[in-house]
Amino acid sequence: MLLRLAWRNLWRNPRRTGIVVTAVAVGLAGCLVSMALNYGMVAQMVATAIGTELGHLQIHARGWERGPKLALLLGDGAREELKLLEQAPRAKAFTTRVRGDGLVNSPRASLGVRVIGVDPVNEPRVSRLRRSLVGGAWFERRRRVVLGAALARRLHVRIGDKIALSLQDLGGDLTGGGYRVGGLFHTASSTFDRATLLMRRGDAQALFGLGDAVSEVVVIARGQSDIEPLRVALATALGPHAEVRSWRQLQPLLAYMVEIFDTTAWYLYAAVFTAMAFGIANVLLMAVYERAREIGMLVAMGMRRRRVVAMVVLEAMLVTLLGLATGIAIALAAVWLMRDGIDLSAFSEGLNAWGVGARLVPVLRGTDFAIPVVVASLAALLASAWPAVRAVRARPAEALRRI
Amino acid sequence: MLLEAQALKKIYATRGVVVHALDGVDLTIGEGEFTALAGPSGSGKTTLLNVLGALDTPTSGSVDLDGQRLAELSSTELAELRLRKIGFVFQAYNLIPVFSARENVEFVMELQGVPAAARRERAAAVLAEVGLSELKDKRPLEMSGGQQQRVAVARAIVSHPRLVLADEPTANLDSDTAQKLLDLMLELNRERGVTFLFSTHDPLVMRSARRVVRLTDGRVNADQRKE
Repeated sequence: MLLRLAWRNLWRNPRRTGIVVTAVAVGLAGCLVSMALNYGMVAQMVATAIGTELGHLQIHARGWERGPKLALLLGDGAREELKLLEQAPRAKAFTTRVRGDGLVNSPRASLGVRVIGVDPVNEPRVSRLRRSLVGGAWFERRRRVVLGAALARRLHVRIGDKIALSLQDLGGDLTGGGYRVGGLFHTASSTFDRATLLMRRGDAQALFGLGDAVSEVVVIARGQSDIEPLRVALATALGPHAEVRSWRQLQPLLAYMVEIFDTTAWYLYAAVFTAMAFGIANVLLMAVYERAREIGMLVAMGMRRRRVVAMVVLEAMLVTLLGLATGIAIALAAVWLMRDGIDLSAFSEGLNAWGVGARLVPVLRGTDFAIPVVVASLAALLASAWPAVRAVRARPAEALRRI
Repeated sequence: MLLEAQALKKIYATRGVVVHALDGVDLTIGEGEFTALAGPSGSGKTTLLNVLGALDTPTSGSVDLDGQRLAELSSTELAELRLRKIGFVFQAYNLIPVFSARENVEFVMELQGVPAAARRERAAAVLAEVGLSELKDKRPLEMSGGQQQRVAVARAIVSHPRLVLADEPTANLDSDTAQKLLDLMLELNRERGVTFLFSTHDPLVMRSARRVVRLTDGRVNADQRKE
């Protein structure tokens, strides 16, 4: 009955309750939508990083972390690593790559590039590179390379044009070859697109003189929660000769951004709901003042003071929860309306540098709801403390004398 | 004795003005009595009722209710005593406006920890007793003053208190409604042995009471019992 009493007390003055509910709802919805857009951006940066280069995990020869070198190789086609991955239930897909540097020449330009030798069949299972093709084909014919569209623009080449690639092989000798542009890709990362040349892994191995050795194994785990256990299992099984690192270790800055984003959420909600707590406290103080006689009567009848406190706290919690529910509904509706993303093509150049595409899709996670609910409940408790103290201080004989 | 007050004094000092609201009141109330505290405004009726009902503390003197000395009880124990042993009827009804008649009556029992089914049953019975079965789902503002005061009486007696304290219960009622309310309380007194103590300056109540204690300037100056 206390809950029923608190609930009905809220509706004695619907306008006043409505104002508080609206304030909480609008504040929360604004925060949630803003967080969803920000997180959508961060999520896209992570997805771009994972989907273009990083994968969830990478295996390299020991020493790669100190600085990648062509000589740091996983021998025998990374057979040991691949065998382990075939038996790992947490691994969803994997592929091998060769990495090196080179100089690409077109009739009009000469540019340094990152050469990545990929397995045309397995690469699409771990990365979005094939899906990022904006022209040409994915290694349909021999001696074809796939370039970032931005790189092709810088070289002034198109599909079918010839380019010459020069590089230094494992033995330190200068080597190279002529290739035709077979495809162009466009990812959300402009830095990747401007300087990356993809070729068949076999061609790269031959060009760099690596035999069957590879530079890295890229792994996609079944789910987010599988990444770390899989990393630990692989690292343990492979021993000291290999380095197994997750995308968070490969791109610590990006991982830090995700972390700082979650921490910022607490501060944002704390600031918003602390401000709201004053509004809630004000409304409750008014309500307690107006009901002084009634509260005095409740105490006179024998209602314990802790139940009076509970009644006031319940009213604060209910009005806040109502605001939260409304705010969450508004935020969900707004995010649903923006489900196809917001067109940011006007800013795409700048955003691409950070791995963000031209279309920003807001993302709401479970924790995005949990944080404001926790913070708002604490704020409501805080807000109800003062009115509750006022209420229990009411001496029944005095309160009953009031008109 | 159900209630025994000895040498009660209550002094208010506000902005340098000292008021002796009670000035050495001795009073005993026996089980099953139907007593009116009469006197003009400012004679100390409500103050005495508040002190006897453990709503206020005396400056000096003592009150014993059902063998318990009120001064020796903590505020929690006093709340428990009010909840279980005293029923209150106020001049301004003081019902919970957001609750229906039934819920108002049930609420006291809820505070006492009576299970929901028993609460509903007892509330229905007591509302029938005060003639309000039809209006049990109405809220106070949907009822007349007399009906609201009947709900207040039902709320006061539903948990079988040892004593019902009523502060000018007929003050806001017309004479016809007041008479009906008095008849109801007399019937409850006769049939169920409920002890009533009123403060009043309503001649109707004084005529119905079997004992009238007159207060003047915070002192008892007459105590008449009727045969």
